[in-house]
Amino acid sequence: MTSERDAVRIRLTGRGGQGIMLAGAILAEAAMRDERYVTETQEYGPEARLGATKADLVVANRPIAFPDVVRPDLLLCLSRPGYLKYGRGVAPGGLMVVDDRIAVEEDTTAEGAAVVRLPLRRTARELGDEIATNIVGLGALAALSDVVSEQALAAAVAARTKPEFADLNARAVAAGLALGREARRGGRSAAAS
Amino acid sequence: MALRLVMGNEAVAQGALAAGCDFFAGYPITPATEILEEMARLLPPRGGVFLQMEDELGAMAAVIGAAWGGARAMTATSGPGFTLMQEHIGYAAITQTPCVVVDAQRSGPSTGQPTLPSQGDVMQARFGTHGDRPALALTASSVRGAYDRTRLAFTLAERHRLPAVLLLDAVVSHMREPVDLPPPPPPARRTFAALPSGAPRFGPRAPFVPFGVGEPTVVTGLAHGPTGATGGGSGAFTADTLRAVGEALAADPDVAAAVEAYRTEDADLLLVAFGITARAAREAVDRLRREGTRAGLLDLGVLWPFPAAAVAQAAERARAVVVAELNLGQLTLAVEAAVAGRAPVYPLLRADGGLLEPEAISRFAQGAATGEARAAKEAMAGA
Amino acid sequence: MPRLGVDVDCYLKTEALPTVWCPGCGNGTVVQALALALARLGRPPEEVAVVGGIGCSGRTPFYVRTHAMHTTHGRALAFATGLKLARPSLTVVVATGDGDLLAIGTNHFLHAARRNVDLTVLLFNNGIYGMTGGQMAPTTPEGGRTTTSLAGSAERPFDAVELAMAAGATYVARTTTFDMQELPLRIEEAIRHPGFALVEVITQCPTYFGRLNRIGEAPEMLLWERDHTEDLHGAGEGLALPALTTGVFRQERRTEYTEAYRALCAARGGRYGDE
Ligand SMILES: Cc1ncc(C[n+]2csc(CCOP(=O)(O)OP(=O)(O)O)c2C)c(N)n1
Ligand code: SF4
Repeated sequence: MTSERDAVRIRLTGRGGQGIMLAGAILAEAAMRDERYVTETQEYGPEARLGATKADLVVANRPIAFPDVVRPDLLLCLSRPGYLKYGRGVAPGGLMVVDDRIAVEEDTTAEGAAVVRLPLRRTARELGDEIATNIVGLGALAALSDVVSEQALAAAVAARTKPEFADLNARAVAAGLALGREARRGGRSAAAS
Repeated sequence: MALRLVMGNEAVAQGALAAGCDFFAGYPITPATEILEEMARLLPPRGGVFLQMEDELGAMAAVIGAAWGGARAMTATSGPGFTLMQEHIGYAAITQTPCVVVDAQRSGPSTGQPTLPSQGDVMQARFGTHGDRPALALTASSVRGAYDRTRLAFTLAERHRLPAVLLLDAVVSHMREPVDLPPPPPPARRTFAALPSGAPRFGPRAPFVPFGVGEPTVVTGLAHGPTGATGGGSGAFTADTLRAVGEALAADPDVAAAVEAYRTEDADLLLVAFGITARAAREAVDRLRREGTRAGLLDLGVLWPFPAAAVAQAAERARAVVVAELNLGQLTLAVEAAVAGRAPVYPLLRADGGLLEPEAISRFAQGAATGEARAAKEAMAGA
Repeated sequence: MPRLGVDVDCYLKTEALPTVWCPGCGNGTVVQALALALARLGRPPEEVAVVGGIGCSGRTPFYVRTHAMHTTHGRALAFATGLKLARPSLTVVVATGDGDLLAIGTNHFLHAARRNVDLTVLLFNNGIYGMTGGQMAPTTPEGGRTTTSLAGSAERPFDAVELAMAAGATYVARTTTFDMQELPLRIEEAIRHPGFALVEVITQCPTYFGRLNRIGEAPEMLLWERDHTEDLHGAGEGLALPALTTGVFRQERRTEYTEAYRALCAARGGRYGDE
């Protein structure tokens, strides 16, 4: 059955109201559309808003036993509370994508994880609504890691979000992918600065 | 194959529709709320009844009332609500009312940590009501399992005329996995044949015939006789009925089939777990095997009646048995009784809202296999 | 039994007699009135369900020849709500005590009234807990003596009629076991009423209320009922215990719950209800 070695473990974290649960479902849907095995679990605080939330995903080529993520290979972090509660301990060689407005301590990178700071929130705001920060973040994560294909991500976003936001979300995915690609080209995966 | 990304709680709702469920009464509570919301969305277009009650006592009562109205009825809750339902779970048992209760377990006691998982309701599912009664508690460790076990819960509830419990946990309830679920069958009202005049309405083999079909029926939570009328001050008929129902349930092959064995054929280190902990234990088995230890897992898809034969058999060639559970040793008691000295039983327990992770389980089990369980425990405590 | 002009025996489980109730208890009077109302309505017994709570009054289901459910303390209305929704063609009558409905079961009472489910609630109000031996009830009058208020209750009682009206019940009446002409009429009206109907029946518990309050046995208690209810008989001044008003307090049409639910389903393409 599974081995943890061929699996990619992903964590998305932020605060309640930032759409972390939705982002988790979208990313899982994208992995499914790529015909990979996937599990997605969630944890949120007692309140639907505020508080730290996380979605954990495992994407693999074989059935997945344990769905919870202990040390993520990929971490997308959209808020400081999320970072503080769930954002430590990226696996060695892993990657953390973080909104550039969030302060990140040095210790995150102690084990050789790369940190990419990107203007996720600003990009979403420029597209018309900060609410799309989660989608921009997913685009960036996908472009930086290849964990899901660009087509699958776009299709998953369309399938899992409300039709009235289709245009905004489509632009958000594209902008996120572009941010990620650019960062990848520029090798901007330096340690936290 | 049409894979869809489905959440555990959504799979419960789909499983219920597949079983013909046409009545749901509930009260919102994390982490079971999505079941309530799904049923509120799915039942009205099918002409089924969705009822949000004023509390869980009322929800369970409405479910039993609906069952006697001829519905396939279900409710879903979590620990605090499950506690409130206990009086009526007892009522369903003594009145031989088929119905289904889903308990998505969360960290307790009391309000505890509402969004975090637990497996602390194992004994509540068995002994939560006052008095003695047969108990059926199924579990699931995957989204597909949640669907299948919900269906099985309805089947067994009707076959044995009792309240069937499905114990999930916050992680399995909220977990999404791609699954291929068939579309629900079209709604169909259940039909019943009236009983001949004077035929027994209660007892181990009496068929369930609801109100509105044939002659008037009396249902009571008092000890009663085969017609439902209180039977001359003797509780013997009711006690005998409940015992016979329990025996038939324990002998039901579909109950035994709910135990999933993983790599146990040649295992000399036996892991026993259920729900989310079984998922971690499965990965732990793979790790142990890679390290050369012949480990195997029993993922208990049924807790009550306890699958003692399956556990005893697998323990026969084990050097050690490890029970991993998110509570302070509830399942361990039953495992110890079933293993009955065939091998030492080592409980690996956690009850703070966190999960037992694969590495912790494999490390602990390795220690158990080499007789270093105590050392392993201490190492864990220090970690 | 008096000649009633219609056959009530087909609604009564005569083989279950005698009842568990004390001699002179008012519960039998209410059950007889229920049978008379059902007979006048001509509802076939197999289309009627009587759901009882726990208490002396909760035993009513054992004495009627209809479908009958004797449930748990305080929750009869929640059982009845599920039953009625699952099988809306049934006429569902709930038999409940004042402790059952107004203490442990108040929440279900308020919510069933709010939903306006087509249920008829017969509240057997004897002002005391009969089954458990005479303790204080939420209806015990101020100054009323019970085994837990031997010096007289210091609490203000609930008024079931006011509660039902506030919660949205669409038929609300109060009568007494003294008013043997009126009682079956009220029950008949209530069953006929499409919506949540409450008939509060002031009934005598000679064993506990009568003795503890030194009123006497059943005959004296019936006269006490007469004297402690206003409107119909004009209650006297200077009573030891306060009086209650009888009559029909509300009788109005508002969408009944199974009707509303049928429309809700239909709007989403579903067909709800017995065919
Ligand atoms: C949960 C629960 N608590 C307490 C009891 C004990 N009990 C039985 S009947 C009753 C009160 C009955 O009083 P009332 O509802 O006024 O009915 P009456 O007997 O006067 O008709 C109580 C407290 C019970 N059966 N169940
Ligand atoms: S105790 Fe009171 S209410 Fe109960 S049966 Fe006797 S007289 Fe009736």
